[in-house]
Amino acid sequence: MLSSLCLVLLNALVISVAAGSDYHEQLLLRPLPQNTLLASFNFRSNESAAAFEQQNFRYFPRSFGQILQHAHAKELHLRFNVGRWDAENWGQRPRNGAREGGTGVELWAWVEADTEDEAFARWLTLTNALSGLFCASLNFIDATKTIRPVMTFAPEGQHANSSNLHLLHGTLPHEVVCTENLTPFLKLLPCKGKAGISSLLDGHKLFDASFQTMAIDVRPICGQGDASCFLEMEQTVDMVLDIARSKRPRDNPIPRPLPIDQLECDTSKLYNAHDTCYPLNKGTDPAWTLEEVFGKPLRGACPLTEQSGDEVNTVCINTPPERTVEVRTTGQFAESKLASDTVRCYKLPTGAHFDLVLPEQKMSTGLVRPDPQIFAARSINGHGQERGSTQSIIRNPSTTEAVEIVYLESLPWFMKPYLHTLRARVDTTYESPIKETYYRPAVDRKRGTHLELRMVIPPSSTLTLTYDFEKAILRYTEYPPDANRGFDVAPAVIRILSPQSGDNRGVYVRTTSLLLPLPTPDFSMPYNVIILTSTVMALGFGNIFNLLVRRFVGIDEAPALGAGGLKGMLLSKITRLRGLLGKA
Amino acid sequence: MTIDTQQKLLLFGAAAAVRLLLFTVFPALPELLAGRVEVSTPVTSFKRLQEGVFLYTHNVSPYDGGVYHQAPLLLPLFSLLPNPAYAPLATNLFYTAVDLLSANALAHVADSGFASVTRLFASPRKELRWSSAAIAAGFLFNPFTVATCIARSTSALTNLFVLTAMAKASHGASITFVLAAAFASYLAMHPILLFPPLLLLLYDARTLKTKTAPDVSSFVITHSLGFAAAIAALLSASAALTGSWDFLAATYGVRLLLPDLTPNVGLWWYFFIEMFDSFREFFLGVFWLHAASYMPGLTIRLNKQPLFVACTLTGVFAIFTPYPSIADAALYLSLVPMFRHLFPLMRYTFLASASILYTSFLGPAFYHLWVYAGSGNANFFYAITLVWSLGLSIILGDSLYAALRDELDVERPELQGKEVRRI
Repeated sequence: MLSSLCLVLLNALVISVAAGSDYHEQLLLRPLPQNTLLASFNFRSNESAAAFEQQNFRYFPRSFGQILQHAHAKELHLRFNVGRWDAENWGQRPRNGAREGGTGVELWAWVEADTEDEAFARWLTLTNALSGLFCASLNFIDATKTIRPVMTFAPEGQHANSSNLHLLHGTLPHEVVCTENLTPFLKLLPCKGKAGISSLLDGHKLFDASFQTMAIDVRPICGQGDASCFLEMEQTVDMVLDIARSKRPRDNPIPRPLPIDQLECDTSKLYNAHDTCYPLNKGTDPAWTLEEVFGKPLRGACPLTEQSGDEVNTVCINTPPERTVEVRTTGQFAESKLASDTVRCYKLPTGAHFDLVLPEQKMSTGLVRPDPQIFAARSINGHGQERGSTQSIIRNPSTTEAVEIVYLESLPWFMKPYLHTLRARVDTTYESPIKETYYRPAVDRKRGTHLELRMVIPPSSTLTLTYDFEKAILRYTEYPPDANRGFDVAPAVIRILSPQSGDNRGVYVRTTSLLLPLPTPDFSMPYNVIILTSTVMALGFGNIFNLLVRRFVGIDEAPALGAGGLKGMLLSKITRLRGLLGKA
Repeated sequence: MTIDTQQKLLLFGAAAAVRLLLFTVFPALPELLAGRVEVSTPVTSFKRLQEGVFLYTHNVSPYDGGVYHQAPLLLPLFSLLPNPAYAPLATNLFYTAVDLLSANALAHVADSGFASVTRLFASPRKELRWSSAAIAAGFLFNPFTVATCIARSTSALTNLFVLTAMAKASHGASITFVLAAAFASYLAMHPILLFPPLLLLLYDARTLKTKTAPDVSSFVITHSLGFAAAIAALLSASAALTGSWDFLAATYGVRLLLPDLTPNVGLWWYFFIEMFDSFREFFLGVFWLHAASYMPGLTIRLNKQPLFVACTLTGVFAIFTPYPSIADAALYLSLVPMFRHLFPLMRYTFLASASILYTSFLGPAFYHLWVYAGSGNANFFYAITLVWSLGLSIILGDSLYAALRDELDVERPELQGKEVRRI
């Protein structure tokens, strides 16, 4: 039996906003149920606003800084996301979901501009430049995928003149995040993945994870009272690794059944025999090492991080105190224990490999898993390729507190919702949970739908939100090559307004993306269609035109010239020709 | 006369009863029919109208979006009616009344006798006609009309104004004719093409009524100016109502440029799905020019029979406009029986009626195969729309042939019953 031991406020540990060092990095490991491991990487670099203006970059990457300056982006959030966070099993999201994006790529930024048009032009500059920098299709974020959220996002930084800042938000749910996006991400780090915790990041393991999200956040921070501001850039990677899957050797990645003599069978089963085996549930935590699960060794500390002070602890692991954690390194390291010994942190050695070794162990205690404030799921109902309805189910598990949320949907233009069919029901009350609605309908080929709802969910209640929509049929050139796969619809973003979290980053939950099948034409026959339709129109027009311009005469009065069919016609032609020749 | 009125009352009562019975016995039927592409097009759909009314009553401009493409004056009208999702009775009664008024207008047109006898022309078969009650019954009990009414498509309103314009023109009522024609054009744009032939009809009716021919140029100028003024008044009222001129692009712009390619029974949607991008504008121009080109030709050639021209043009609209539905076909097919005297001269009635019947049954089936069952593709439904259009254009061409042959019988009575050729 696992008894609860201690609730760790991981966020307090991770945030610790301090201007002390200019570059800081941290890795937090936390075993999750079902033999999974959450690894949260955090890299933070600061640059003073004055140095940034003068393009005097130290830890802030120059390529990225120049893009921000060129596009007049004052605050930027970029997300690359793969997989789904399993809230039922894994509990609360890392960093309260504030460093997480919807499936694919998500970008939002506060752009400084005098007019909306100028802001949009700068936004396009930004997306195009970032597209090149991150090898992602960010340049496909056009007017149809851009919205201007009203309630969902609030700036995290302190902005001097916020009146001419424009928030723009774009998503690419279809984007497949992969290694080509990780390489530029690592290149932005001062140690570029050669040393420090970033040396653990390997595309093979990162994109094989059950859930992974990469985030880049840039925000200005100003000290209280004085005018000294600095620009903070935070890069985070959160990934959930399946330990058994990650430990597969790279040269033999295909799982094969073990020979029967190596299987550990549950001999208490009735049917256990020499040829039948029920796998034994040992109820132990699996053995793993850093090098095994990440596929690469940790090559010591990044020399650019501070070597003294309270931020020297770079690698932390959050386990019950009874869990055995051995350190394997040839260099100098230091261990410190925090939060009633449930967090063990290590100062990395410089220039030497560092590894944590956790043996297989039977545990009697566990950690309290903090529950999320809401559970959210969204799906498409109905069948056929003509219309459907969307259903979102949001559950408030708290028995005491009501939850106030903002629900944001950004739908593609070819999915046409009917707002008059929007229904929000709470199972415990008849009162409408919707407090405020912002709706901007889509315009064909120009703009997507933007819907924001502020809602309150009473304690231990479930909110069901449904609306009907119609699927548009597109021009055949507008379909992608895999037209019958369907189109991706961006996840809904839910921000929890109250109860609030401790910091100003907000609490977010994102649903999964949806797959929307559209009716498809036959792509193989544009010529046939043009010809057949034209034929029908020509038959109609020709018939009527003939009737209108010709004159009726009796059959016997018809000129004899044309009579006699083909033979008569030929004869008349010959007579005429003869006549002509005779004249000449 | 009393027997006639009684007959009419009985007919209208029966038609209203059928509609209200369908509305109440099958409460899911309006939703089902409103979702059918054959009945509801993007520019007439009741569900889109509800969305527009919802946005309008919640102070969001319905024209700043891609869903609502119907006339602005419908918004206050339908926002006065109780929400059809909870209290459908008022809406149902409204649509039933619209159909009855349309039938009444149709009966008036039939009563005027302009189908066979006009100012300059009298058909030799003018005794061959159906009573106005029979023609109204043909409209009221046409399954296409009933389906349109149950689906609460706004083309029912367009049909009402078109029929009223015809009725007023055939009775020589200038002002009401101009107003009805302006309303029809305002609602659906293409009925503007009906104005010249109906003006001719009005001229004939006025001449017969007053026994003196009014001055042609002043007659045309005053009525055209009145028509333009009525349309301008409607448009400016709409602009005042919605606060901007955005509705022009969202209503008439959509009809002209076809951004919404939702399938319908017409010829445009699949053509423009499959059209190459660089030729799209060119073919939009060609298609519109083609649809508009029938009006001058027919009006000039058949200037002695303006009502026939107007009827034929409604047939053209049912085939060649961008968003036709079975409501347009219903209007045309209800007008055709007025020309009972032409039926003996028609040659392909069996072929045409068979193809209309065949497509009416196979169209929904093939659409189901494409969109729901997934066992067919878009070509199935497309092929049916081709046959449907072909069937209607056969009726169109055949009736035109019959009308011209009828004129020939008057011009040259010696050719009556003899075979003729076209040269």
